[in-house]
Amino acid sequence: MLAAYFLLRGEFDWPTSLTWQELSSRLDSAQGWLLDQRTAEHPNIIFAILDGFRALAEWLVTAFINALEWLTWVGTIAASVLIVLRFGGWRAALIVFGAFVSFALMGLWEESIQTLGLMSAAVLLSLAVGIPLGVLAGRSDRYYRSITPVLDAMQIVPAFAYLMPVVILFSVGPAAAVICTMIYAIPPAVRITALGIRGVTPDSVEAARAFGSTAAQTLFKVQLPLARRQLLLSVNQTIMFALSLVVIAGLIGGRGLGDVVTNGLYSNAALAILAGIAIVIMAIALDRATAAIAERTDPTRQHLTDEGRRRARIMTLATLGAILAIVLVARALGADALYPDEFETSTTVFTATIHDDLLRWIQSALDYVQDPDSFIFGITEPIGNFLLEYFLEPLRLVLVETPWFVVLAGLTGMAFVLSGRRPAITAFLMLAAIGVMGVWAVAMDTASQVLVATALAVAIGIVIGVWAAESPRVERMLRPLLDTLQTLPQLVYIIPFIYLMPVSRIPGVVASVLYAIPVVIRLVTSGVRNVSPAAVEAASAFGASRMQVLLKVKIPLARESIMLGVNQGIIMVLAVVVIGGLVGSGALGDMVARGLQRNEFGEGVVASLAILALGIALDRVTQGQRRVQPR
Amino acid sequence: MQVRKGKRSRWSLAVVMALMLALFAAACGESKDESDSGSSGGTAASGKDCGKVVLNEQAWAGSTANTYIAKAVLEDKLGCEVEITKIAEIPVFQAMADGKVDAVLEDWQHVDEYAKYIDKAGTVVQGGPLGVEGHIGWFIPKYLVDEYPEFASWEGLKGKEDLFKTAESGDQGMFLGGDPSYVQKDKELIEALGLNFKHVTAGAEPAQVARWSQLYKQEKPVLFYWYTPQYLNQEYDLAEVKLPPRTDANKDCKDDSKSGGDPEQYKCEYDVTIINKLFSKKFADSGSPAVDVLKKMELTNEDQEQVAKAIAGDKVDPEQAGQDWVDENSAKVDAWL
Repeated sequence: MLAAYFLLRGEFDWPTSLTWQELSSRLDSAQGWLLDQRTAEHPNIIFAILDGFRALAEWLVTAFINALEWLTWVGTIAASVLIVLRFGGWRAALIVFGAFVSFALMGLWEESIQTLGLMSAAVLLSLAVGIPLGVLAGRSDRYYRSITPVLDAMQIVPAFAYLMPVVILFSVGPAAAVICTMIYAIPPAVRITALGIRGVTPDSVEAARAFGSTAAQTLFKVQLPLARRQLLLSVNQTIMFALSLVVIAGLIGGRGLGDVVTNGLYSNAALAILAGIAIVIMAIALDRATAAIAERTDPTRQHLTDEGRRRARIMTLATLGAILAIVLVARALGADALYPDEFETSTTVFTATIHDDLLRWIQSALDYVQDPDSFIFGITEPIGNFLLEYFLEPLRLVLVETPWFVVLAGLTGMAFVLSGRRPAITAFLMLAAIGVMGVWAVAMDTASQVLVATALAVAIGIVIGVWAAESPRVERMLRPLLDTLQTLPQLVYIIPFIYLMPVSRIPGVVASVLYAIPVVIRLVTSGVRNVSPAAVEAASAFGASRMQVLLKVKIPLARESIMLGVNQGIIMVLAVVVIGGLVGSGALGDMVARGLQRNEFGEGVVASLAILALGIALDRVTQGQRRVQPR
Repeated sequence: MQVRKGKRSRWSLAVVMALMLALFAAACGESKDESDSGSSGGTAASGKDCGKVVLNEQAWAGSTANTYIAKAVLEDKLGCEVEITKIAEIPVFQAMADGKVDAVLEDWQHVDEYAKYIDKAGTVVQGGPLGVEGHIGWFIPKYLVDEYPEFASWEGLKGKEDLFKTAESGDQGMFLGGDPSYVQKDKELIEALGLNFKHVTAGAEPAQVARWSQLYKQEKPVLFYWYTPQYLNQEYDLAEVKLPPRTDANKDCKDDSKSGGDPEQYKCEYDVTIINKLFSKKFADSGSPAVDVLKKMELTNEDQEQVAKAIAGDKVDPEQAGQDWVDENSAKVDAWL
């Protein structure tokens, strides 16, 4: 490839005879048609069904929010904390309590309640769709194989691309926000459920059959109960994925914290950051609470005597009674539906939040970051320029200016060597599709950024991941940090980097590295830790030092997990391409963002499909031998 | 046995859920009562009940300013209940078509959407100009013009592009492009004018501001896409680079390079953008007194920048900033009533 680059650079662009020129205008007219159908005098019956769904989603969201407001803010805190205390233990209850207190002190109570309502509805509906699909996928290989590409598409195609069609079909408001969130949150629910059902040992299923169970009985009495842990994990992951769409939901009337982030970015960056922090706190609290409840209520872990069971029942009743009493007392004393900004007594008014102080602190941190004379800037600016000059730009030139057929053949060849014949064919088809859609050069620009970001994420992720595997303390300390990186809206943590590394493409790369690192670290850590103790012991017995064991035994044996880390890293990086477009990465991300903002719908969809194709191609190149054997 | 024990705790969970649901039902019933009694409050000045008006605020500070001015007027003078939504520029057209948003006060000529929603479907109607006039152009810091007076016009940039070189523009000068969602034609303009600039996309407006304000603070040269009215113009001392004027000879000159084509057809300065108010058809026909007031509402660029500066620059609460302006400009406001 390099030789071809030097010999033939810039001479062979993707030929126009091989592109489908009308694709984007066709897509534009498809959207126009949809709009006409929607406003037609006698709309199609399908719209009536969609309207029904819209009404349901809207009702759910409002019901959740109304319920929380009816409880009053005192009651909301009491109810959530006591329920978590009863079923999840005091640790989780403390975290939930802390979360509500911080929403109150941040002065973002109302927005948090709106987001909580929206998320609850979205998660509930996602699970209602995802778990049955996951059960089906767990029971049938053919079905599983056929929906996998759909799930991939749902996760990789940026939400920006389908925002407008969703708005045309469901109008703006909570319903549209719920739909967009569902598109992103259903895939993990399906995948993890399917994994759980598959994980049930064939022996148990066969035993059930042998005793004459029907298929339904096998499912409900054997497979589902035994897959319980995975099912709860899927609830947990669905919540996390749903929360990462809060900001985008804000663009189409989702209200809540998402709104504060987007509008804050334009007029009050400190406020956007504060709302971002609230989102992270909500995510961590929900994660810990669901995980704790899953753990505590696990039947295989409960060894209750009759006495204990009776006590548990009394505790439940006491919890309910306490909640009811607190809510009634709070309402009788006139507690507000929402946490107030100030408390009034007959003589004075107290400010009830530290909203203004927090904003002042964040603002002063931002001011420091924005100061080009600051110490940090002196370090970060050269790093940014170095990355651009020695990595991003050369790689972009190689990918864009090398003749297209050489790049195509090169990547296909790599897929063949690393992953085998079928992945190579898929990679070839995907890359060719990018060319046919007429976005070859733009996609290669994006590819160069994706590759640099993945390389950085993998390099940093492996080092930290191995370290965490060796030291449980490091792992414990990392956990909240990794959670933060996964749920903090990228637009929020990217603000400082725009100031610190003022080169257009760098902040986008930084955002993708930070988003991809947690996944890489987690996979590497679990891979290294799961290396069989026998191999480690054998090596130690032969007198290998700790370092030798690590480098010669653990890491080579964990190779597969590390490769999976690389592979997942690429997928995560691709998920941030659009955010990159918003902070100056240009290329495909920019096209997608413009697609929504300037209503160049066709172009936006084409760019999104190109991101998807690029994702699948890179996935096949890096997947290794992993998926070749049938599961 | 174990399965039974599991059931026990699942049962109690179910009981809790059921109780929560009961609370729900109570909450729903309650909120309905409230909304029934709530809507009768506040009678309009013109005698007709104003009811609820939904205004959409766009992301930028100028839009926040005019939306909250309108809110203060409608609530104070007509006793309306004003709700503010924050939906993105393009989806809000569908929101108006569905009657979910009543009015947008600052629309920067989304002509494609006008064709679809105003002309074809008729679900959105024009509410007349806001009075604010948008102006897009090429801007540089004032200190740069002081040093190089020839930069006051585009011809002066010719041959001096080197000055604007950065790490990412290679051996060309850097032109910092505008928010991709805004109307622009700078790539074509640079080509048509034969300038040696590389058009660098900085991304959405906050990111673009971060880039040029950083260079401004370092007193380095920077040339970028910018516009008025914008509250930052009161914070940073900027000067405009004159582009080829619009004359009778080039009256077909275009501003939006979205449609592509020959760069020559874009070779002129940006035209003044008339900023429009838009109403949903449903709201316009509702007979609410708010329709008339919003139709008559008019602001100058200075009005809008002043309030936007208070909100985004001095971090005054938008409600307060809007109210302050209404209190100080009662003569203007009375003319809308």
